[in-house]
Amino acid sequence: MFADGLFIGFAILSVLGAVGLVLFRHPMNGAMSFVVTLISLAGLYALLSAKLIFALQLIVYAGAIMSLIVFIIMFLNIQPSDLPKEETKLFYILGGGIVVLPIGLFLAKIVKSMPERSTEIIGNNFGGVKEVGLLLFRDWLVPFEIVSILLLVSLVGAVILAGKRGTIK
Amino acid sequence: MIHSYLYLSIILFCLGIVGVISRRNVFTVFMSIELMLNAANLAFIAFSRVHESMDGHVLAMMVMAVAAAEAALALAVVILLHKHKSKLDTNVFSLLKG
Repeated sequence: MFADGLFIGFAILSVLGAVGLVLFRHPMNGAMSFVVTLISLAGLYALLSAKLIFALQLIVYAGAIMSLIVFIIMFLNIQPSDLPKEETKLFYILGGGIVVLPIGLFLAKIVKSMPERSTEIIGNNFGGVKEVGLLLFRDWLVPFEIVSILLLVSLVGAVILAGKRGTIK
Repeated sequence: MIHSYLYLSIILFCLGIVGVISRRNVFTVFMSIELMLNAANLAFIAFSRVHESMDGHVLAMMVMAVAAAEAALALAVVILLHKHKSKLDTNVFSLLKG
């Protein structure tokens, strides 16, 4: 089926992008492969008929947050000599994989115990802007306002931290 | 089909943990945290599709807002540390060690 093929393609792309993020030495290469992951995740959201989140993932994540990260990486003008020497990187990745593997297998066992359901694309305006907006401003109004306070606090904090004159001691 | 989405979410989350604990570059660690947030988002949206309720979409939007706030603050801290030490190695930043 067409949607299954799309899912396999997007899944392979997202895992490859994540592996590239973990393995690349220079953060710019890692950021570029992470963009691939984010865009293929947007495709998966579209397959799960989440139309608004699909658009938000492309605009906010792949557009705004990643361009901010790439801008900062270019702003710091990182030379290959500035990067930390990671001769034992592969050993650490192997050890980290061994540590994380039981957690992943445990989560996979939980998933296996759940009933299998189909995820065909449904119409009925599921995940559209109007429906999600109504839900957001009816049932989730207080968390929404708290998120606005969080953004304000992080804005003030970022300005105070990055705009500091002189050196810290 | 829902199982495949959840397995993919688990794989991405574990790759994020491996990136955080095995790399020493500040930017790579930061982007691995973003990867873990995205894996959680994928699980939210998949469960939201299964139960045909849109609460998961709202939660995914909240996670995106938290990620944006985190990006702004973390990048400000990285700029400050780079100005102070001109290195990107997480082992160098040991001011609190005493």
